[in-house]
Amino acid sequence: MADNVDVVEGCRLPVLRKNQENEDEWPLAEILSVKEIPGRKLYYVHYIDFNKRLDEWVTPDRLDMKKLQFPKKEAKTPTKNGLPGSRPSSPEREVVSAHSTAGYSSQTLTCCNSKLRFNGTARRLMASQPGRKRKANCGGTDEDSQDSSDGIPSAPRMTGSLVSDRSHDDIVTRMKNIDCIELGRHRLKPWYFSPYPQELTTLPVLYLCEFCLKYLKSLKCLQRHLTKCNLRHPPGNEIYRKGTISFFEIDGRKNKTYSQNLCLLAKCFLDHKTLYYDTDPFLFYVMTEYDSKGFHIVGYFSKEKESTEDYNVACILTLPPYQRRGYGKLLIEFSYELSKVEGKTGTPEKPLSDLGLLSYRSYWSQTILEILMDLKPDNGERPQITINEISEITSVKKEDVISTLQYLNLINYYKGQYILTLSEDIVDGHERAMQKRHLRIDPKCLHFTPKDWSKRGKW
Amino acid sequence: MSKLSFRARALDAAKPLPIYRSRDLPDLKDCVSINRAVPQMPTGMEKEEELEHHLQRAISAQQVFREKKENMVIPVPEAESNITYYDRLYKGELKVPKQLIHIQPLGLDNEQPDYDMDSEDETLLNRLNRKMEIKPLQFETMVDRLEKASANQLVSLPEAKLLLNEDDYLLKSVYDYWVRKRKNCRGPSLIPQIKQEKRDGSTNNDAYVAFRRRTEKMQTRKNRKNDEASYEKMLKLRREFSRTVTILEMIKRREKSKRELLHLTLEVVEKRYLLGDFTGEVLNEVTVPLAEKPVYTAPVTLTNGNRHKAELKTKTGLMHQVSIKDEFPFDCVRPKKKYSKRDKLYTQRRPGRPPSQYTVNKADIKQYDFHSSGEEDYTPPLSPPSEPDEENDPDGLFAFRRKAGCQYLSPHMDQNLGVLWEHPELAGMDALRHRHSLTALSLPSRLVGLGRRRMGRGGRVILDRASSGLDVVLKQLDPDAFASPVSRTRDINRLVAQRASMSSGVSSATAASSFAEILNNIQSLRWHCFRPRPAQHQVNEGSRMGKPSLDGRVTSSLLLNTKNNGSGGLSFTAGADNQQLVGKTSEIFFTSAQCAKCTLTSYGLHSLLQCSSTGTSRPPHSATLSHSGAGISGRVSSSGIGGPLLPTHSSSSLQSLPNHRNHVSAVSPAHHHHSAQPSAPSPSALKLATVATTLDHVPKVTPASTISNLARENHEPERLLNGISETTMAMEVT
Repeated sequence: MADNVDVVEGCRLPVLRKNQENEDEWPLAEILSVKEIPGRKLYYVHYIDFNKRLDEWVTPDRLDMKKLQFPKKEAKTPTKNGLPGSRPSSPEREVVSAHSTAGYSSQTLTCCNSKLRFNGTARRLMASQPGRKRKANCGGTDEDSQDSSDGIPSAPRMTGSLVSDRSHDDIVTRMKNIDCIELGRHRLKPWYFSPYPQELTTLPVLYLCEFCLKYLKSLKCLQRHLTKCNLRHPPGNEIYRKGTISFFEIDGRKNKTYSQNLCLLAKCFLDHKTLYYDTDPFLFYVMTEYDSKGFHIVGYFSKEKESTEDYNVACILTLPPYQRRGYGKLLIEFSYELSKVEGKTGTPEKPLSDLGLLSYRSYWSQTILEILMDLKPDNGERPQITINEISEITSVKKEDVISTLQYLNLINYYKGQYILTLSEDIVDGHERAMQKRHLRIDPKCLHFTPKDWSKRGKW
Repeated sequence: MSKLSFRARALDAAKPLPIYRSRDLPDLKDCVSINRAVPQMPTGMEKEEELEHHLQRAISAQQVFREKKENMVIPVPEAESNITYYDRLYKGELKVPKQLIHIQPLGLDNEQPDYDMDSEDETLLNRLNRKMEIKPLQFETMVDRLEKASANQLVSLPEAKLLLNEDDYLLKSVYDYWVRKRKNCRGPSLIPQIKQEKRDGSTNNDAYVAFRRRTEKMQTRKNRKNDEASYEKMLKLRREFSRTVTILEMIKRREKSKRELLHLTLEVVEKRYLLGDFTGEVLNEVTVPLAEKPVYTAPVTLTNGNRHKAELKTKTGLMHQVSIKDEFPFDCVRPKKKYSKRDKLYTQRRPGRPPSQYTVNKADIKQYDFHSSGEEDYTPPLSPPSEPDEENDPDGLFAFRRKAGCQYLSPHMDQNLGVLWEHPELAGMDALRHRHSLTALSLPSRLVGLGRRRMGRGGRVILDRASSGLDVVLKQLDPDAFASPVSRTRDINRLVAQRASMSSGVSSATAASSFAEILNNIQSLRWHCFRPRPAQHQVNEGSRMGKPSLDGRVTSSLLLNTKNNGSGGLSFTAGADNQQLVGKTSEIFFTSAQCAKCTLTSYGLHSLLQCSSTGTSRPPHSATLSHSGAGISGRVSSSGIGGPLLPTHSSSSLQSLPNHRNHVSAVSPAHHHHSAQPSAPSPSALKLATVATTLDHVPKVTPASTISNLARENHEPERLLNGISETTMAMEVT
């Protein structure tokens, strides 16, 4: 069946995949790449409306050829990088065409669609374009010509750790390039592209030293490496330890090799992370879990030494084997503890990923609800609190406090003033969630003195 | 829900918000939606991702259930944690220290090789281990060094030997293995590395290039322009400092070479003293064959300088071409000498290993210059370490290669040459062979213009021709007119060598006519031309010429040296019976001279006129002066300026010299009259000659006044002299 028709890049058709309940589904997918291995063809598919991390190589028998749609003619996408065959089909485009039946020009449709979707919140639309937003924030003072307004492809901005737009998106980075990573006890399936040395991308398994994160092409090499590598913990200072959980601080300038290896690994699981520039302006906080073999990396977050935009986290990641066990929240909590010591409020660098958003919202909700529920009425007066106070106590940036209150639907207008109302299900839900939350950061175990990086010259 | 009849005030973050439980607010239904008053905060996600199915599902699940549902989470690719060989892989246990781990900022690097052996290497190692013991770490260190030294180009085997310092057999096996493995390697290095950026910007969009340096733009807070400017300045300063370091390195090298030269010279002198070699014979025997070399090796080592020289040549034209070729080791007149001498030293001292020297240098230069943005095009002119071809084979395509089955004879050292070398006192004579002289052929009786004879491979005689402005005139000359003298004169007689630039000074018809006139004179006075012929016949040369024959040779070399150009050179060879100098005419009488050097400082140009006459030690007979023994008598009478165009006028006092079969140095200046302009100033005779009492005495005369007189009287010669003074000029009279 697949042999008769030529399934090329850009075609759309339903592709069989198993869902979490292990049931068959046939979501619509787009063919991003075709490769021929001896005996058969393989197709790299992106499931429309699913995150890229689920993209995969599929065999022809999983394609539903009866519903094949050929790419629309309008695909006059400018090849950004001059790479032949590079077809930067941005998610934007996919979203648009997925929801529009006719093949209209995409730009206007995006707006219409979004407007329809968000019910006239044009302002929100604007704000949710991080690239624009950033520029707008900086205002007229920003003469940083990193954003190529003149059409010349320029280097991306040098602050931050995430790509603010998809202008550097191309077919190479759209596709996962590593099949499998072995790290300590774990075998990880990467979610996204990562710029490991190209000759290593063809390997079935990429081996990483669990402690220094060096990449090796074979188990034999790893064995040899382990005779020489005597690290049993991340190469930095331990600034927190409680129970088996430790945090190590690593300077991206002083320990480049480790920082780079960490970034390469993290890139496998962070879509928007950029490795364009060196790691010098970042600190890396690596969370480990101790056992008799050593301090095993669980997750990490990076942080700009100096942030002009109140970011207290650049990239944050819990490694997949440790996900959904509360470590992510622990990382977030730790990042706010650091901000508390610094006496600042902070916010994670944008854009957030889907998992990032859920984690942060969850953390913010629990943190704020914890405060609200703990407030006791004094002298029979109804307890009250300002948003600024919440922000100061938690180090969560004011905007994040407001968005959380909105998201939880706590803010109401009652009798001429704003009030916060805690509904039954919110309270119940919070209490249930807090019971499950065993892992907490103990501020007493934190041994951290913030450095004033601005006084140290360049980082 | 009651209709909102007023505009809600904006949410004030500083205003206290009372907290209500829902049960406390039975009339909560009266609460109003605040959507309009409180701005919706962005989620912080990319909007298109925000719409993704699994996220939306998870968000709604949370909204509904207020907690996570197992089947509503966002699906991710699986991860396994069941590596069974983990314990075998990560050996040993770690006891948790009581204190927080504090890492020392230094001492992390324990100098372990970055290269990790793979199973293929292990096979080789097992094979090698049958013959000798080699540990994996040793092997890794070797490969690591090889890899790190081969950033641009593969390390060659000799370089590898220097690098590794291992047993030869082991080294060879590992090296060969490494070369093979590297060829098959898909990556740029056997140690996998993150792709580096290239400074030309070609990698700006390469997805595999990561961790670029942030040097393009300084990260200044709030865009402080002055910070950026000062940053740029610091970068520049840094660059310049590193250049200084490079220069100083080079100076250091040069001075070391100098010192070495000094020591070597000292040693040579000591050795000579011990040997009793006071006449320099032994030294000459030893040095002559060596002296041959540098003339040809010089272009090899000084690739850059040589290119520069080539440019110069085209500028100065013929003058330069005719210039120095005689690198007689003890003739230290020309500054150019210095270079070749150094090269000589260099090549002699380290015959086989110039590449390694360069390796070091390049590394040094690089080392001091890592931060130079935009300096990529400034690559040090040294050749990269692993290009032995270029080093050893300067002729490249045209290199001489021995052919199998061919017999190669050693070059003919004909007696002419032999004589010269055996008699160092004939230093100047050696140079004669390299001068361009007016040449005629006897068999197709033809005048070929300026030429010089060379001995080619297998004793072939090669005639190098040079073009000059005189060619036009020369063509008109009748070769028959001097055919007989040519045939008769077997000796090497040098005539006029004219510089191109000079004749360009002589412009238009008048010039031509003047020259014609001169040449007529030449003809009438019999013109002896150089003619290639075996030298052994020269002995019996009778002078059947009407003129005093010149059997012997007198070389008088006139050297005009200015500071304008130290390296250029021009040789004039004047015929015995007419000396035609462009700037002035000199009659030079040298009776017997070992070496007479007259140094003139001419008008403000600091020109150096050097006349050297070389002859045999036999006391010649001279009409003017006759000093037996060691006496030298030289009289140079410069007769002044003839005309504006051809400022030569020689009042000649003709000397008839007795015919000597052996080399008698004599100059017999011919009497000729170039009074093209009757208004020519009367020749102010210049007596240059001084008497040297000893053979090696060098008289110095500074006839500045005379020459400056001339200069004032006539502008033309000044111009011409200026022309001359552009180069160093050696004039020789035979």
